Amino acid sequence: MGLVLRAENLYKSFGKKKVLRGLSLQVEAGTLCGIVGENGSGKSTLLKILVGEWRPQQGLVRAADRLGYCPQRVALFPQLTVEEHFRYFGAAYRMSVAERDQRQAHLLEYFNFGKYLKDRVAHLSGGTAQKLNLSLALLHRPEVLVLDEPYSGFDWDTHQRFWAYVSQLREVGCAILVVSHFITEKHLFDRIYELKNGQLQ
Amino acid sequence: MNWNRVGIGFAMTLRMLLRRQIVLLLLAVIPAVFLGIVKITSTDRPLPFRLASLTEETFITIPEAGINFVFFAVASVGFLLSFLALNIIQKDKHVTRRLILCGYSPNELLIAKLAALLVIMVLIALYVGLLTDQLYEVRHPAQFVLSLMSIGLVYGCYGLLVGSLIRGELEGILLIVLLVNIDVGWLQNPLFYEGAQNQVLIRYLPGYFPSQASVISAFTDYSSQTALGTSCLFGVGFLLLSLFIYYRTMKIHR
Repeated sequence: MGLVLRAENLYKSFGKKKVLRGLSLQVEAGTLCGIVGENGSGKSTLLKILVGEWRPQQGLVRAADRLGYCPQRVALFPQLTVEEHFRYFGAAYRMSVAERDQRQAHLLEYFNFGKYLKDRVAHLSGGTAQKLNLSLALLHRPEVLVLDEPYSGFDWDTHQRFWAYVSQLREVGCAILVVSHFITEKHLFDRIYELKNGQLQ
Repeated sequence: MNWNRVGIGFAMTLRMLLRRQIVLLLLAVIPAVFLGIVKITSTDRPLPFRLASLTEETFITIPEAGINFVFFAVASVGFLLSFLALNIIQKDKHVTRRLILCGYSPNELLIAKLAALLVIMVLIALYVGLLTDQLYEVRHPAQFVLSLMSIGLVYGCYGLLVGSLIRGELEGILLIVLLVNIDVGWLQNPLFYEGAQNQVLIRYLPGYFPSQASVISAFTDYSSQTALGTSCLFGVGFLLLSLFIYYRTMKIHR
């Protein structure tokens, strides 16, 4: 299996606090990896570096072109509708209208929030907004999917659907990296790392 | 630069703006309040002053209310556009960042925001220009509206620059208050300028040429083209700086 995400020897400090100390990570296509750690262990820092939001002081990150990222904090425009978000993010991913429409219909149906298509995000419940947050990361069929606390706010049914979807993604070769305080479905994971003292253990 | 994506970004930014109804209401109310206060408080006593930007020494005499209407029209457009630009660039910055992580270029999004700002700028300039003309008949209404657009462009681009440079909302507001208040809200008042020391300093401020263009078009038959053209240079300068800083701060490292 080919590598879709590779981080080598990452260092990152904030002032005197060394958050990452020579951290390395490899994620192969079709695998499900988890990273857990205490508050302040550097999970968010690592994630921001992996997706390209921050630059490490030292080290290297290589990721597949089609990277999907679902941030923990719902990152949506309150004034735009669900449909407009799909349009906006479809443009960001350089998707054709037909391809985007097909993926949009599939995700709306799968996560069961099609009836909110014309609703503005400001009027959605927290759980529905989180479904949209996740769907936007999945819209372009990513080769590697990075999820930050992805299931906070999901109801039980959505939680089940989420894990079923993760299994489907793995079957088509998508690698998934879940970053969380704790992981419940441990048996589903290929590898779970603990981020401690700036390194993965 | 993909212009289709810029177009989608423009449409979405404009929709978000137009759906904030209280903001729209305030955009209409604030200039009306400014000009209403001028109407209530200013007299028709004639005041002579010199047109600073013309090469030949030209003095004109205008009723106090006329000068104040023009000055406050310019100030209100400058204030509104700078704050609006700051808000457009700072609001939901984490979502904009996500769009960039998903493939948008920072400059595509900044151009889209600028285009939406320009639409609002034209509407505000038209509205304030017509309102001023109703209260005090300006000599050349079309040129006067153009001069209001020029102050909107200059201070809209200044707002974009501050928003690109400063993360915090309050810090951004204070930086805008600092320049806009001192410049178009004070030093560019033709009556203050007339008696001011160190007029050279005032001439180098961004509000100088738009203010001069508005005074020339409102009260005289002279051409305001030079003043308008120089105003655009200030706007373009601020825009280029903000494009550079926005790109540097928002680009991704992949």
